[in-house]
Amino acid sequence: MGATRILMVDDEEDLELLVRQRFRRRIRKGEYEFLFAQNGKEALEALEQNPDVHLVLSDINMPVMDGLTLLGQLEDSKPDVKAVIISAYGDMENIRTAMNRGAFDFVTKPVDFNDLQITIDKTVKHINDLEQALKNRDRLVAIRRELDVAKQVQLSGVPAELPVGDAFGVHAVMNPAKEIGGDFYDFFELDEHHLGLVIADVSDKGVPAALFTMITRALLKSSSRRHDSPARCLHEVNEFLCQDNDACMFVTAFYGVLDLRDGSFRYSNGGHNPPRHLTQAGTVNALPLTGDCALGIALGHQFGDSTVTVKPGDALFLYTDGITEASNHDLKEYGEQRLDGVLADGASLGAAALADSVLADVERFADGAKQFDDITCLSLRLRSLSGGTGAGGSGSQ
Amino acid sequence: MTSKTQLTIRTEQDEKAVILCLAGRVDGTNASVLDEAVRDKIDAGQPALLFDFDELEYISSAGLRVLLLAARRMQADKGKTLFCGLSEQIAEVFRVSGFDHILPVFGTRSEALATV
Repeated sequence: MGATRILMVDDEEDLELLVRQRFRRRIRKGEYEFLFAQNGKEALEALEQNPDVHLVLSDINMPVMDGLTLLGQLEDSKPDVKAVIISAYGDMENIRTAMNRGAFDFVTKPVDFNDLQITIDKTVKHINDLEQALKNRDRLVAIRRELDVAKQVQLSGVPAELPVGDAFGVHAVMNPAKEIGGDFYDFFELDEHHLGLVIADVSDKGVPAALFTMITRALLKSSSRRHDSPARCLHEVNEFLCQDNDACMFVTAFYGVLDLRDGSFRYSNGGHNPPRHLTQAGTVNALPLTGDCALGIALGHQFGDSTVTVKPGDALFLYTDGITEASNHDLKEYGEQRLDGVLADGASLGAAALADSVLADVERFADGAKQFDDITCLSLRLRSLSGGTGAGGSGSQ
Repeated sequence: MTSKTQLTIRTEQDEKAVILCLAGRVDGTNASVLDEAVRDKIDAGQPALLFDFDELEYISSAGLRVLLLAARRMQADKGKTLFCGLSEQIAEVFRVSGFDHILPVFGTRSEALATV
């Protein structure tokens, strides 16, 4: 740190010599550097020319502009300058006025230089603390702005509009918790016969999670264009995420491809809560796990595919644990059982109504208790198959 | 603080391993506390670290990440990281996330320590 620059304001000519003499060690060490002015007006000019001066030591009685007037001016125009008043011993009236005008402290004449040194040190410390606090505040503001950006990035990362088809209805909801979370979903048409459904949850929150989310989503989308097998896609994404993952961040991800011609739904589950398959009759089945683990933690892991058949009238419900682990004031969790109950009741609802009924029930359950995790779900209702173009086979490249 | 975020960490020293007994919940609000506790133990250069989850009610994915970091750090020093006493719910979390493929889980302490 450079020298603390101090402006001394006094019309007594010998004060300058005295100060230089008494503080010579600190000056020589480069801790203090003194500037001198004869009155308030000169002091303001000196401050104007030396914006790095934050400490003023000022006498009260001076020609042209006295110390109290100077204080008033400083209070108005230089709030970051702290003033210490040097007054005649026992002049309580002026001292009170000075303190009321924002003086930081005072010393009395004849000046006790030990006391002055302590006062200077104390004031300098205060100024530095204040400066640090301001810096911290600015940094916080910057971080908050960064978080806002990350939130925007996150929200722009999910499809703004879901495709609409006669053969199916699809609906998704994402309610991020207060912090930026790492949930995401995706839904895309691979070709005219194949729909890709993704739901995922990154292990952490905040900006790093948002970035991890973005990378995962982009990688998976890119893989989905190259491989038919969801397991193959998850494998590819996993290999990438595992590299240099010193932070041990991971993402649970479910990816499935629905063939609209025969209703076959081929999926692979990388450590995510099993989505539900709702039949028209009202049974709710958790899609069996594929024996795989979350992405980003097991390099070389070979993922597996499973297939279920979705019939016209059936629905799929993909969700993150923000739903099942939502808790109420008694700290009870919403749980899978209650979820399955609501889904069974919604056997005949459209995709949007189904998702909304779950979210409404979670809200009813939480009863105003704080939401700790992102709540995300994606529902799909199959209305009809698009037969006629030849059954079986694979349509995607 | 609500009890939602309460976590107690008790350390026991076995001749073969440091045992971290967790009680309560590990979630995003206190995962860093666990991480620090674990770091302390690993910095002490232990040959094995055993997590006893007998009194643990809940662990979120942020908590799982801390476990993973611990296992990786131990591995770097050729040390083992073991787990025991998982409740049914936590065992389910391990199963669904696939962590049971990666982290060695045992029923009891003695079963875990027998492998050290």
